[in-house]
Amino acid sequence: MESASLGVAAACYGIAGCAAIAGQVLGRRPDAAVGGLLAAGVAAHTLSLGLRWERVGHGPFISMFEVLSSNVWSLSLLFLVAFAKVRAVRPAAAVALPVVFVLLAWMLQTHPDDGHFPATYRTLWLYAHVAFGKVFLGALLVATAVAGLVLLGARRAAAQESAEMERLALRFLALAFVFESLMLVTGAIWAQDAWGRYWAWDPLETWSFVTWISVAALLHARVSFRVPPRATAAMIVSVFAVAFLTFFGMPFVSTALHKGAM
Amino acid sequence: MNATTLPAAPRGPRAALAALASTRLSLAALAAIAAAVVAHAQAEGGMPVLLATVFALAGANLAAALVVQPRLRADLPLFVFHLALLAILALAAVGRLTTLTGTLELAQGEVFDGQLLAREAGPLHPEGLSRLRFVNDGFEIEYAEGWKRGRTTNRVRVFGEDGRVASRVIGDMDALVVDGFRFYTTPNKGFAPVFRWVPRGAGAMQRGAVHLPSYPAREHAQAQAWRIPGTGRDAWVMLELDRPAIDPARESRFRIPASWRLVAVIDGVRRELAPGDSVALEEGVLVLEGLTAWMGYRVHYDPTLPWILAAALLAIASLAAFCWRRFGRAAGARGG
Repeated sequence: MESASLGVAAACYGIAGCAAIAGQVLGRRPDAAVGGLLAAGVAAHTLSLGLRWERVGHGPFISMFEVLSSNVWSLSLLFLVAFAKVRAVRPAAAVALPVVFVLLAWMLQTHPDDGHFPATYRTLWLYAHVAFGKVFLGALLVATAVAGLVLLGARRAAAQESAEMERLALRFLALAFVFESLMLVTGAIWAQDAWGRYWAWDPLETWSFVTWISVAALLHARVSFRVPPRATAAMIVSVFAVAFLTFFGMPFVSTALHKGAM
Repeated sequence: MNATTLPAAPRGPRAALAALASTRLSLAALAAIAAAVVAHAQAEGGMPVLLATVFALAGANLAAALVVQPRLRADLPLFVFHLALLAILALAAVGRLTTLTGTLELAQGEVFDGQLLAREAGPLHPEGLSRLRFVNDGFEIEYAEGWKRGRTTNRVRVFGEDGRVASRVIGDMDALVVDGFRFYTTPNKGFAPVFRWVPRGAGAMQRGAVHLPSYPAREHAQAQAWRIPGTGRDAWVMLELDRPAIDPARESRFRIPASWRLVAVIDGVRRELAPGDSVALEEGVLVLEGLTAWMGYRVHYDPTLPWILAAALLAIASLAAFCWRRFGRAAGARGG
């Protein structure tokens, strides 16, 4: 049941993404179908994660499979919420869902180990830290997808439309910034209790901070100077690349991160 | 030819302050911080001077901007956000100057006497550790199959300066906090043979534990050299176990093994000792009393912790208020 529901979720995400891309290319967006499929995928994925949580006795925080699976779920859920609430976000599905595909394909390549739940993970701060991190990445994905539309459609779209889309992207980027700040603070509280220091410049901490600085610099530049929408959009995509490499690339650089010791 | 008279550029301290408050300099400072933290993380031993320099530059820029940028002062959430960032920078600097981190090990029943095995302290650290006293009353550690460490619970008693004694249970996420010093259990722990040294003549009897290397991390290196007190003699001991003290094939606990032998080499003579056995030497008699366990602790002191947390929460709240106004739906409708 756990694997079957994950398979259903993957199929729904895949079809939703293909429909969004095809709709964008053909100029007839099947928004209702994309939204429905995405909702069905998230529902099936929620069931799969819940069954796994019940079986292994801990949340999806340990193995690479669990981390990727929970991020595919959270990114899809948060994009779905933005898709449902903000009409202007809907065309961005054609940009956002391929990012989810990458994580999905990566997840299917990894072994679904149960993993060992370290003693230092038995804290509410873990849940707060992870939840804030997921909202941060989800909001950043929406901002990036909208920025992607600005970049892809800049030559055709009217300047006014580009400016409106850029403002929409900035709105989600600002949301991401607030939640990234909360993620860093809750992570520091957890680190103080778990390892006796709130900050130690380990690779993940360093690059999380670089991501925060990147978002801060982008917002500072946008608020302080006249920055054309295309330049803002390109910077948002760059920030997402840094965040993606931080949260999905760093585990390869330092395998001992955030783990318990023998 | 017409000569154009340009207004004179402001000079002096005010001009310097305006230059320091530049928004372009803010951007450069952010880029410098990003580069410095990456360099610090990559370099062997870090690059603390570089890090301190770029954060000081950013702090100076921030402080100058708060003084001379009217836009910052006019927008309360933005002003509070930048003020809170400045407070975090200042508090982190104070924290680095007053901090103390160190390690210690205590065998079961041993009292902490204020001495650390390793310590790193800021130049303004107010020494206060030497007056703290607590005793390790023993610990349990759960292990999952494959020596995967689970929950640690450590019973301790703290002796107050007023003579009061308080019992506490500390562990992985629960530090022992005394006078601002935070003591944490660590994965570093092991076994310790306990000896009694009875000197011949007038000397006082001494009792002590020899801490063997961490177990199970250094399972195959359970040996230690030490010097018998009051003599020039070096002794070497090795713990021999018939089977691992923690069964890696199933769920288990860290415990003193039921069956063990201690090999001791003193003056080049090898002996196998069991509890109660003694070694007679010229200066006295060494008696093996038994085997106990020791726990490694990390101690951390930073008086700025609650203030940094408060400043960080204030920064986030004011940032959220600013973003809501500047980038929220209503701002979008206004074209902001």
